[in-house]
Amino acid sequence: MNSLSFATIKELKEKLEKKELSHEELLDFFINRFKEHDENLGSALEIFDKDSILDSFNSEGVLGGIPGIFKDNICQKGRIVSCASKILEHFESTYDATATRRLKQAGSLILGRANCDEFAMGSSTETSAYKKTKNPWDFTRVPGGSSGGSIAAVAAGLVPWSLGSETGGSVRQPSAFCSTVGIKPTYGLVSRYGLIAYASSLDQIGVATRTVYDNALVLSVIAGHDIKDSSSLFVNKKDYTANLTGKLKEGLRIGVVQDALNAEGMDSEIASSVEEAILVLERLGAKVKRVSLPTLDYSAATYFVISRAEAASNLARFDGVRYGMRSEDSDSLRDMYLNTRCEGFGQEIKTRMMVGNYVLSAGHAGQFYENAKKVQNLIRREFKTIFNDVDLLIMPTHPIPAFKFGAFDVDKLQMDLQDYFTCPMNLAGIPALSVPCGFTKKDNLPMGFQIVGSHLSEELIYQTAYAYEQNTPWHTKHPKGF
Amino acid sequence: MIKISKEEVLKIAEMTRVFLHEDEIAPMTKHLESVLSYAERVKEIAADIEEPSNKNVNAFREDVVVKTNPEPILSQAVVREENYFVVPVIIESK
Repeated sequence: MNSLSFATIKELKEKLEKKELSHEELLDFFINRFKEHDENLGSALEIFDKDSILDSFNSEGVLGGIPGIFKDNICQKGRIVSCASKILEHFESTYDATATRRLKQAGSLILGRANCDEFAMGSSTETSAYKKTKNPWDFTRVPGGSSGGSIAAVAAGLVPWSLGSETGGSVRQPSAFCSTVGIKPTYGLVSRYGLIAYASSLDQIGVATRTVYDNALVLSVIAGHDIKDSSSLFVNKKDYTANLTGKLKEGLRIGVVQDALNAEGMDSEIASSVEEAILVLERLGAKVKRVSLPTLDYSAATYFVISRAEAASNLARFDGVRYGMRSEDSDSLRDMYLNTRCEGFGQEIKTRMMVGNYVLSAGHAGQFYENAKKVQNLIRREFKTIFNDVDLLIMPTHPIPAFKFGAFDVDKLQMDLQDYFTCPMNLAGIPALSVPCGFTKKDNLPMGFQIVGSHLSEELIYQTAYAYEQNTPWHTKHPKGF
Repeated sequence: MIKISKEEVLKIAEMTRVFLHEDEIAPMTKHLESVLSYAERVKEIAADIEEPSNKNVNAFREDVVVKTNPEPILSQAVVREENYFVVPVIIESK
């Protein structure tokens, strides 16, 4: 059965179809994988009991019988959804997120809730109120974040796919840290209904898998218009696996973001691995040119302001009145608010809300929030102009490999800057896919690059990534001990 | 470098409905100053741009009243009386 651990969704589907094993055996197998390995890895906050997982089972769908796991900020009816925060420790979701509903209809089995940074705010999964998740490639290092649990579980072969969420890079950065394929779809492609908000104008549900085909398959299930999300795009459902031929689009033009490769602090091994990936794509027929993204240096600052402002406003609802935890023994309503929020929220959340309220407050909104929204417009225009010239962009997902626990405990600004290469796409609302591109010689740590496209170019991104993957060995490498 | 006074930090904390212990004020001030000083660079290039960014799509629809069972929501209440959420006294009786 061990060959199942790192089997792709495609392979598992074949085994189920040929009746080599039943969906129940497969479910048992993956539940046991968590039992065996997750005490050390710490990727899940909860694994549900088998019977309740099978309750809503439908074997007919495209993911019939295929187990996956969700980041703990996506609602599943009747299940706890805590955002890895004490304030929602016992909160039970009263409805299914649209992504949940679509995945259940497609027959997938949702095994549990994956650890993450509290309210998806962080880049290492260290801000979770419950536990640390380790990087499966090196237990002394973080898996990245904020969707660290979702990505670590997939990388360690505990589950073939997972959902995470992205606001500034929370699926792509951990994917680069753990050698998985991770997508941030076009803003509005996947419904946010039932995704607990961090920064609503940037949030998107994303998918992590070990192969490009599997990623495209899961996205095909969850993408598409939803009336329950006012920012949902009017797009028809599509099979994103249809174009995975192993060949590039005829005459594909790729722009390499030179400012990223030349950025200060860029790890030289990652830079060379991205250059090698570019050579592979060139050999496959891509026309490559070097391009510049001058707003790159302003993206993180723009992201800080917009994401914190929206977080402050979204998280104002957690007041202990209607749901979640309430601090005991408060004499007044005001004290109840204060005590509940102080006991329920971790330090990172408090800080981000305070930054948000500062940049929105009278006297500062013009200097920060209004200016940031203007720069966001500039960033969007810059991408739009570049995509007149090239079809896709390539750049590193992250400037450094996975770092050690506590690496940024003192210099917190550096932790905040972890979104440097990933947040421009969230600000522009465009899709990007992180793809594994090798391992460092020194510590054998995963490296990744991202393929970035214009609005709704997911099909082209996947086609390109698949051709790259079929010509490189990285997706066949798995961490030891699992 | 942006400088923030203790009074301003306490005002923002109050606005955020969080309480800062005396020993938390200095590190919080320092962190806010460093983040905001970094974020301030947005103004360097914003001057040349007239329009702020808009969202891609924001669809509106008519409100439709759908009969819903309030029980699942109310059952999450920390303190409840019939169909009400109970909170500490807001207005004292004389």
